[in-house]
Amino acid sequence: MHPGAWLTWALCGGTAATLTTNPFYLLPLGASAWVVYAAHHRRDHPAGLSFRVFFLFALAALAVRTLLVLLGPVDAGTVLNSFLEGLRLAVMLVIFGAFNAVADPYGVLRLAPRRFYEAALAAALALSLAPRTIAAVTRVRDAQRARGIEVARYRMLPALAVPVLENGMEDALTLAESMDARGHGRGRRSRYRPLPWTRASVLCAVVSLVALTAFASAAVAGDPTLVPSMFPPSWPEARSPLLAAASLLALPALLRASS
Amino acid sequence: MSAVVLDRVTFTYPERDRPVLSDVRLELPEGVFALVCGPTGAGKSTLLRLANGLVPHFSGGTFAGRVMAAGRDTRSCKPREMADVVAFVPQDPGSSFVLDRVEDEIAYGMENLGVQPRHMRRRVEEMLDLFGLASLRDRSVRAISGGERQRVAIAAALAPGARIVVLDEPTSQLDPQGAEDVLAALQRLVHDHGMTVVAAEHRLERIAGFADVAVLVEGGTARADEPRSILGRVDLGPPVARLGAALGWSPLPVTVREARRHAAARPPVAPPAIDRPSPGDVLMRAEGASYSYGGRVAIDRVDLEVRAGEAVALMGRNGAGKTTLLRLLGGMTTPTEGRVLSDGAAPRTGRDVALCPQEPESVLFRSSVREEIEATPGAQTDRVLDEFGLTDLSALHPRDLSAGQRLLVAAAAVAATGAPVLLLDEPTRGLDPEAKERLVASMRRRASAGGAVVFATHDVELVASAATRVVMLAAGQVVAEGSPEEVLGDSAVFAPQTTRVFGPGWLTPDQVIASVR
Amino acid sequence: MRALRIPLLAAANLVGLAAFSWPFVAPALVSMGGRGDVLLVTIALFLCLGALLFVELGRGALGAKQVALLGVLGAAMVALRLPGFIAGFSAMFIVVLVAGNAFGPAFGFLLGATGTFASGLFVGGLGPWLPFQMVAVGWVGLGAGLLPGRGRRGRLAALALYGAVSGFLFGVVMNLWFWPFAAGSSALGWAADAGFTGNLKRYAAFYLATSFGWDAARAAGNVVLVLVLGHPLLASLDRAARRMQLDVTAPILEADEEPAGWPRPRSDGRGVEESPDSRGQDAGERPRRGDPWKVPQKADRLRLGGGKGETVG
Repeated sequence: MHPGAWLTWALCGGTAATLTTNPFYLLPLGASAWVVYAAHHRRDHPAGLSFRVFFLFALAALAVRTLLVLLGPVDAGTVLNSFLEGLRLAVMLVIFGAFNAVADPYGVLRLAPRRFYEAALAAALALSLAPRTIAAVTRVRDAQRARGIEVARYRMLPALAVPVLENGMEDALTLAESMDARGHGRGRRSRYRPLPWTRASVLCAVVSLVALTAFASAAVAGDPTLVPSMFPPSWPEARSPLLAAASLLALPALLRASS
Repeated sequence: MSAVVLDRVTFTYPERDRPVLSDVRLELPEGVFALVCGPTGAGKSTLLRLANGLVPHFSGGTFAGRVMAAGRDTRSCKPREMADVVAFVPQDPGSSFVLDRVEDEIAYGMENLGVQPRHMRRRVEEMLDLFGLASLRDRSVRAISGGERQRVAIAAALAPGARIVVLDEPTSQLDPQGAEDVLAALQRLVHDHGMTVVAAEHRLERIAGFADVAVLVEGGTARADEPRSILGRVDLGPPVARLGAALGWSPLPVTVREARRHAAARPPVAPPAIDRPSPGDVLMRAEGASYSYGGRVAIDRVDLEVRAGEAVALMGRNGAGKTTLLRLLGGMTTPTEGRVLSDGAAPRTGRDVALCPQEPESVLFRSSVREEIEATPGAQTDRVLDEFGLTDLSALHPRDLSAGQRLLVAAAAVAATGAPVLLLDEPTRGLDPEAKERLVASMRRRASAGGAVVFATHDVELVASAATRVVMLAAGQVVAEGSPEEVLGDSAVFAPQTTRVFGPGWLTPDQVIASVR
Repeated sequence: MRALRIPLLAAANLVGLAAFSWPFVAPALVSMGGRGDVLLVTIALFLCLGALLFVELGRGALGAKQVALLGVLGAAMVALRLPGFIAGFSAMFIVVLVAGNAFGPAFGFLLGATGTFASGLFVGGLGPWLPFQMVAVGWVGLGAGLLPGRGRRGRLAALALYGAVSGFLFGVVMNLWFWPFAAGSSALGWAADAGFTGNLKRYAAFYLATSFGWDAARAAGNVVLVLVLGHPLLASLDRAARRMQLDVTAPILEADEEPAGWPRPRSDGRGVEESPDSRGQDAGERPRRGDPWKVPQKADRLRLGGGKGETVG
C-alpha cells in the first residue's frame, strides 16, 4: 500500500473523529482502525507493536479526561459529556496507533515534497543511524566498565556521552564526504523505483475521503446527532449514512496491500 | 590517456603552517590497479581525496597546482560534479551509507544526478550482479557482513558511471574472507572492465600481488613506480619483500609465489628452535566455560589457562566466538555453564583483568592523553605512559592522533587499571607497521613484567611475531592449541608468508635472516 | 542572505506561536461562527506555518555536511528518547541544547524538528501532535543558539538557566494546543465565552494542576545534564565543527599558469545519462544559499568566502 494512502486514511479518520462525540459514530471508527491494524500491521518491526501502546494511552486519556471533571461541580450530564469527549480523544489515538503500525516509516519519509528533500533525508538518516547509536551506547558503557569506570554514576556520564558523540561526529564526517562524492546537492533529482499508486492504494484513499466528506458535510449542515447533548442525559441517536461512513474506513482491511 | 594527473600540487590544511603535500607530480594511466602506500600521516588520504576534489573543496585549506581526473579539472569541478567520473569509497563504509536498503543505497548517487528511473533500474541490476549482491538487495545495509558492506559501498560509488575507483584502506577493517572477496571484485573491475583502481593500504601482504603500480607517499611528496621497487623498502613491504631484500633476491618478490621460486634454489635448513621464556603461574583459567544466548551457543565448553609471561593469540573466523571468550575472561559476562576463575574467584573487571575493545575510540573521553590515563581509577600515569611509549604525546588530544596512536592510548588507559591480565580485541585493525611494532613491544614488556596478554586477531603476521601460544576457535570450541609454529605451520588459511615460503617452523623474516647470518 | 533568513524564520515562528495559542485567539473568532470554525482556523494556521517552514527549509539545499550532522545528532536524539522519561524529562533535550548552542539558532531549530520527527517515526508515534512537538523542540534548539554568554562559565551558566526555563516553556506550549480537547468543559477547560484573560486564567490553573510538576522534572533534568555534560559535549561539537570545516565555504585556490603540454579537458562527461550541467559554472564563486550558519566574508585575492563562522567556537 502506498504510504500516502495510509496517511490519507489516518488524517480522514482522525478528522472525522474530532467532529463528533457520538459513541455510535466513535465506536465504529475505532473498530475500523482495529480491523485495519489487525489486517496490515508490520510484524517484522517494533513499530508494529505501537498500536498496543496507543491503545493503552487511549484508555488513560479516557480515564484522565473523565476524572478531570471531578474538579468542578459534578452532575450526570457533565460526567457523561466529559466521558464522551475523552472517548473522542481515545478513538483519535487508536486511529493513529493503527497508522503507525501499518505504514513503513521510510515510505512516509518518501512522501516529503521535493523541496523538503534534505530535511527528509536527515530524518531518514537519523532513523537508520539510531540503532547504531544505541549499540554505541552499550559498547561504550562496556568499554568503560572494562577499565573500572562505572558510567551509571552521574559524575561519570561524560565517559559515556563523549565517546558516543565523538564517534558520531567522525561518522558524520565520513558520511558527508561520501554524500558529496556521490553528487549530493547537484540540484537535479530523480527517484529510484517511485512508489506506485496501486489500485488498492487509490481505493483506500478514496473511501477515506468519502467517509470524511460525509462527516464534514454533516458538521457543516449542523447535524445534531454529531454532538448529542447530555443535558439532560439521553440515549444518543445515530443516522445510518454516518454509521456507514464510519464503517467504510474498515474497508482497507479487505484490500491486499500488493494488488 | 591518463586517468588521474596531479601537476605540481601543493596543499596545506587549514590552521597548519606546513603543506602536507608539496609540488607533487603524478600520472596514473587508465586501467591500472594502483596501490598507495607510505607511513601514517604522510598524506595518503589527502592524495586520494585530491582525485575527486574533496581536497580542497570539502576540506578547506590552500591549494596550488591542478588535478585532472578523467579529463575534469578539480579546481572548477566540486566533488559532487565529479561523482560520475570518480567513485570514492571511504575507510569505514558502515558510516558512509545514506539510505537503509542495499538497492536504494546503490541508486542514491544516480538519484542525485537526475538519472532517468528506467536507466537507474538497469544500472542497479548491473551493479548487483557485478559485485555478487543480488541476494542482498532488500537487506538493510546495517545488517550485512563487513565484506558485503564494502562491496555495497563500492557498487554505490561506481553506480553513477565512474570508471575510476578511489578507496581508502578497503580491506583494513575486514576478516580474511571479506578482504579476499573485495580484492577479487576490484581486480575484476581492472581486468575485465578496464577501470582504474587507486587504493591506499597499510597491510600490504594481501594486496601487493594485485598492484600494477605502487605510489609511495612520503616526506610531503609522492612518486609512482613499479610495485617491487617501492615495496622492497624494508619498513614498508610485505614480509616476503622484506625477506627478499635481506637475502638479496632479484627481482624482488612481492607475492609468496614469486618468493617460493627464489627459495626453491636454496638448500633446506632446519628451522631453529624459537626460544621463549617458560610461562609462570596460572593467572586465570576457564573450566568448561560455555556461553549461549538466544538459543545460540557462542562458546562451547572451553578450557583455557593464562599464565604469567604469556601472549596468547585467539584466532578463528568471524563469529567463531573470539570476542565472547574475551568478554568471559574479562568478567564482562558470566558463563552460562562452567566457570572462569582468577585467583580462585570470578575475575573482577578492572582489578584482575582489563579489556580493550575492538573500537578503541569507545574509551576515549578526555581532552589530553595524560588526562585520559588519569581517568582510569588507580592509574600510575607516568609509568603507564612510559610503558606504552606515549610520554611525548601526553599533552595532545587523543582524537587528534592517528588510529595506531589512539589504540595505544586506549590500551594504555585500560592497562592503567594495573590488572595483571590485559585482553585486546583485534588490536591491529587499521594499524600501520610502526604502530604495530610499538604495540608488540609494549605487549612484550608487559609479559616479561609478570603479566599476560590475550589478544583476538586475524593478523597472522602479528601472531607470528608476538604470540607465545595460539588458540584456534571454531564454532565456539577450541580446535587447536599450541605454539605459533605448531598451530600456524600446518594451516592452509592462517600460515604466515614466511611459513608459506620456507615451510613449517619458519614464522618471521627476522628468524630467517638471523639463521642465515 | 542571512538578513533575509531571519525575518522568514521569525515569521514562520510567529505563525507557529499563533497556531499553538489558538485557544486564546479563537474566542474572538468563535463569536462570529460555530465550533467547527475554530478547528478550521487551527488547521488553516497550521497550513500557513507548514508553508512558511517549507519555504524556509527548502531555500537552497542543505549541504552534505549539514545533512550528515542533522542525521547523526538526530539519531542521538532518537536513542536518548527511547529509554523513556522521568516525568517530563527526556535526555533527548541535552542534544538539542548543546547542538543549538554550538551550531546556531537555525541549525538548532532544524535539529529539534527533524530529530523529533525521526523519533516519532522510530517509535511509531506519528499523530496530529507531531507537528506541534517538532516546532516546540525546534524552538528549544533555536533559543539555545541565541543565548549570550562568553567564556566557558558564562556559556554554561546561560545554557543551564535556559535549560530550566525552556523545560517549563516547552510544557506550557505543548499543553496549549490540545488543552481544549483535554480539559473540555470542566472548570479548567477552555470556554468560548470566557474571553482572553478568562481563558488565560483557566489555562494557568489547568497547567498548574496537570503539568507543573511534570515540567519541573524536565527543567531540573536539563539543568543537571547541562552542568554535568555541557562542557565536554560543547567542546566535542566545537572540535567537530573545526574538523568538518563547517565555516569554510570555499578553499583558497592559488592561481597558476597553464602548464605546457597539459591535456585538454574533455567536453563530454562519461556519465550514465547526461554530462553534468553545472560543471565549471559555480565552482566556489559564490557561497551556496541555504547553509544556515555560515557567514561568507568579503573575498580577498582568490579567497572566496570562508573565515570563521560566527556561531562556532
